[in-house]
Amino acid sequence: MPSRSLYFRDLRILAAGAQSVSGILLAALVMAFAPFPEPFVEPTERTIGVMASSFEFSPAEISVNPGDLVTIELTSADVVHGLYIDGYDMQISADPGQTQTLTFTADKSGTFRLRCSVTCGDLHPFMIGKLHVGSNTLLWRGFGLATLSVFTLLVWMPATFRKRNQDTPDVEI
Amino acid sequence: MKKEILARLVVLVLVSGMGLSALVFRIGDNSGIVEVHAAMPEKGGWLTDSIEAQVGEPLVLSLVSDDVVHSFALGQSDFEPVDVLPGVPTEITLTFDEPGPYTFYCTRWCGADHWRMRGTITVTGDEPFSKDLPDPPLYLQLGIDIDDPHENHDLVLDEQPSALRGSVLGLTTPSEFLTQAYYRSHSPHQVWDELRKVPSTSELSESQIWDVVAWVWAQNTNSTKLAEGEALYQRDCAACHGVDGDGEGIFGAEEISGDGTPHEAGFDGHTIEAPTSFQDAGQMLTASPALLQGKIIRGGMGTGMPSWGLIYTEEQTWNLVDYLWTFQFQKSQE
Repeated sequence: MPSRSLYFRDLRILAAGAQSVSGILLAALVMAFAPFPEPFVEPTERTIGVMASSFEFSPAEISVNPGDLVTIELTSADVVHGLYIDGYDMQISADPGQTQTLTFTADKSGTFRLRCSVTCGDLHPFMIGKLHVGSNTLLWRGFGLATLSVFTLLVWMPATFRKRNQDTPDVEI
Repeated sequence: MKKEILARLVVLVLVSGMGLSALVFRIGDNSGIVEVHAAMPEKGGWLTDSIEAQVGEPLVLSLVSDDVVHSFALGQSDFEPVDVLPGVPTEITLTFDEPGPYTFYCTRWCGADHWRMRGTITVTGDEPFSKDLPDPPLYLQLGIDIDDPHENHDLVLDEQPSALRGSVLGLTTPSEFLTQAYYRSHSPHQVWDELRKVPSTSELSESQIWDVVAWVWAQNTNSTKLAEGEALYQRDCAACHGVDGDGEGIFGAEEISGDGTPHEAGFDGHTIEAPTSFQDAGQMLTASPALLQGKIIRGGMGTGMPSWGLIYTEEQTWNLVDYLWTFQFQKSQE
C-alpha cells in the first residue's frame, strides 16, 4: 500500500513545514510590533528655533527624545513660509517679523518629514526637513522585515522544498 | 453627390460651432469681474495696479497669486484683508460710497520689497472729488522738520522710566501737562525740562522726573489703543525694526538682499539704511509724538522706510505711535 505510507510521510513534512512557517511569521510579527529596545531618556521641554527661507529650513533636521514637550519657533526670512509635520499632522505658518510657535508632545517615535505648507515659490516642493523622535524605528523595522523576507525567499524556501522533493519519491499513479 | 454636400455641411457646422461656443461662453462668464494677479514686487506686483469703479456699483475682483501668499487690503477702511493664494482665485465685492482714489496693498510679507506692492482704485461718481483737503497732519501744522536730526546721544538713563512709579509719587502735575495737544507736540525730553522748572518737582531726583514723564505718557493712551498699535507694529514694522523694537528685524540692512551683501540700491536706485532702534533713548526721548506720526505718514524718503499715510487712518497712526513708546517706558501693570 504505497499510497498510505505516502500519506503519513506527507503529513509529517507538512507539520515540520508548518512549524518553521509559524516561526518565520512570529519573527515577522516581533519585528513589526514589539517595543523597540531603546535607552530611556527622561522627557524634557525643548524649544527649537527654525528659520525658514527660500527654500530651506535651518536647521533642516531636528532630533528630540520620545515624550519631549517640543516647541518649534518658526521664523521666516523672506516670504510667508509654513511648517507641516508628517505623522503628527500639525502645521503653522509665519510671516517675516511674526514668529509663530507650535507646541506638541513627541509621542510617536520615528523619523517624520517636515514640509513647507505655504506655496513659497518655484522650488517650494523641495523645501523639506526631518524630525527625528528617538531612533528611526520605522526604518529599522522595515530593514528587519526586508531581511527576513529575503532570507525566507532565498534560504528557507529552497531548503524546505528541496528536502520535501528528496523525501518524496516519484510515484507513478 | 447630395450626401457629400451634407457631410461637408456637418463638418463646417462642427468646426465653426466649436469656435463660436468658446466665444459665447467666455462672454457669458466674465461679466464685470476684474481679474487681478498678485506677484512679488520684483516680478510686477499687482497686475493690474490701477482699477476703475463707479460710486454705488459693486466692483467684483477675482484675486489670484502667481507666486507666493499675498493679501489684499484696502487702506483707511474697515475692509478685512483677504489672503491671495497661488492658484486659488478669491472673489471679493467692494462697493464705494464716496468718489476718490483708494489705495489697496498687500499685508503678507512677500519679499524684501513687499511694501511696494500697492495699487489704486479710482472711484468716479456724479459728484467730482471733494476739493476741500483734509486738515494737514500735526507735524505740518507745528512746522516740525521730520528730517532734522534730533538725536541726543548723551541722553542715557540708568533704568527705564516707569509710569507706575511716577503715579505713586503723589505729585499734582499741572493740568497743562496732561492735555492731548501738549502730549502730542512735545518730546519726553522737553516735558522733562518743563517739569524740572515746576516748583513742586524740586524735591524729585532726575530719574523720578522721568517716571513722571512716563506717567504723563501713560495718561494719553489705554490698553485698547496699545493693542491695536501692537497688532499694526507686528504686521507692518517688526520685519525691519525687530519684534523688540531693537532695529534688528529679519529684513535689517545686512540681511535685506538675501545673499549676504548689503542692499546698496533698490531697483529704483535708492539706498536702504539700517532701521531705527526704538530702544535707543537718545533717539526716542527727543522725538515728539507728532514727529513720529510724521515719519510714519510720509515715510523715510530714500531710506527704505515706506510711507503709510494712504494706508492707516489717523487713529491707527496715533495708536501705533503710542505703542512705540512702550519700548522706552516700562509697561504699567493693569
